[in-house]
Amino acid sequence: MPSRNNFNAGRVSRWLYGLAVGVALFSGFGQMPLYKRYYLADIPGLGWSANFLLLSDLHYLAAALLLGLLAWRLSLQARQAVPAWSWGPRTWWGWGLIGLLVVSGAAKALRNYGVFLPPPLLMILDFVHLGSAMALAFTGLALLLRPLLPKLKALRQPTA
Amino acid sequence: MATDISRRNFLRGGLAAAAGVAASGLVLPQAVQAAGADSLCTVLDLSKCIGCEACVDGCREQWQSTVPDPVSPIPQPLPSRVPVQDWSRRKDVQDRLTPYNFLYVEHLNLAHRGREVELHVPRRCMHCVNPPCTNLCPFGAGRVEKNGVVHIDPEVCLGGAKCKQVCPWQIPQRQSGVGVYLNLMPTLAGNGVMFKCHRCLPLVAKGQQPRCVEVCPQQVQSIGPRASMLAKAQELARAKAKADGASPESWRDYVYGLNENGGTNTIYVSPMPFKEVSAAIAQDRRQAQPGRGQRAASRQGGRGLRAGQAGRPFMGPVKDTMASAENLTKALVLAPLAGLAAGFTRLFGSKKPPQSEPKEAPHA
Repeated sequence: MPSRNNFNAGRVSRWLYGLAVGVALFSGFGQMPLYKRYYLADIPGLGWSANFLLLSDLHYLAAALLLGLLAWRLSLQARQAVPAWSWGPRTWWGWGLIGLLVVSGAAKALRNYGVFLPPPLLMILDFVHLGSAMALAFTGLALLLRPLLPKLKALRQPTA
Repeated sequence: MATDISRRNFLRGGLAAAAGVAASGLVLPQAVQAAGADSLCTVLDLSKCIGCEACVDGCREQWQSTVPDPVSPIPQPLPSRVPVQDWSRRKDVQDRLTPYNFLYVEHLNLAHRGREVELHVPRRCMHCVNPPCTNLCPFGAGRVEKNGVVHIDPEVCLGGAKCKQVCPWQIPQRQSGVGVYLNLMPTLAGNGVMFKCHRCLPLVAKGQQPRCVEVCPQQVQSIGPRASMLAKAQELARAKAKADGASPESWRDYVYGLNENGGTNTIYVSPMPFKEVSAAIAQDRRQAQPGRGQRAASRQGGRGLRAGQAGRPFMGPVKDTMASAENLTKALVLAPLAGLAAGFTRLFGSKKPPQSEPKEAPHA
């Protein structure tokens, strides 16, 4: 059985992972000019969501947290520690998407740092980053909704 | 068991390690280079400019026809508060930046050392060394070429105007009713294409000079490799400072664009300190009372535009927009190192017991 410390560490790491992914998704989608157009920034307390530079900073912070968690998990795996850190995807599909997000995001961060990248490569990276994020978000949404499927099917069955 | 080095675990670890290394910036592809190293930079000696606007005419003759006319009627984006911006019936406007006018000349009268001085300032995109407009474009429509030209690909741009919002000078201008968004969801996403100076990229690629440089009768602008242009700007500014009765050491007061927004490839050198030029522009904006013609242009150019101000950038000090992202890049490098340190120093997570590994619940 995992110790109480491991249990807590696992719970904290899952929450941190959720926080990192949630903030990254919100700030990432906010990089498209949507929040102001579609009134989200008009909601009291959410005016900051129309500030692209602030959202960019938030995206960086979420990415740093996610990278820290990834490295932590990698090191724990390397020394075969208790899997109390069982956060994150459980499939190659999920890990593949996160890998694409990390690699394309790192390249974009290099560009923002002032490193020259050929424009066609940068456009490919932009669409890979956006596409991977959308695929991850929709996969997560589908998994969240999956438990509802049997109930929906039951509703469609004629009752005896 | 996790103790076996299976192909699955090897690939998993390799992918994560490669991603971590890439994120840490320890390995760079050979294609990448420090931006700005091979850039072409322009220096504008404002004391030479007579305000003839030959540069504006040359630019318009060369490029105005490349900006397409919009479809008719232009689709009204949803929600209705999203403005349709149509400059296609006001192509004659050349006293501000519009989608059909990439360059204008600011004509100023200012008092300097007790006398009235005329100053003419050609204004266009500054072509920043690390431009926020292109870095933050979510679709890769904004581009920086190896020669330092910052431009927008009209085949990709959806006209969201984010580039304009993050540009300190709000240079890019939108034309609604043109571009690829018409083939997607024209009412729900996008609103045209953003246009701005591309410093005659097709001509420069053929080894020619930009039109505004070439047609100027006064040779106000010079263009060349960034390092030599910086030296030229400094030498020129020292001479201007000395001629102005100031110390040559105060030459930085006489240049604009050197450090603005982290550095640009457009450097102005003025016969008086730019603090005074900036004040004169601010004064001009305060005095600008929208006349009938300007109001009409404003209405046609989009709701909410302040006539006489929009499309006419200021010349005050500008902080580096990308400085925050550059600083946070260090966090992206340090975070994986901290994660590895925490893992290997056993700050969290104890050693796995030898036999009984608790089975995880299946993922929901």
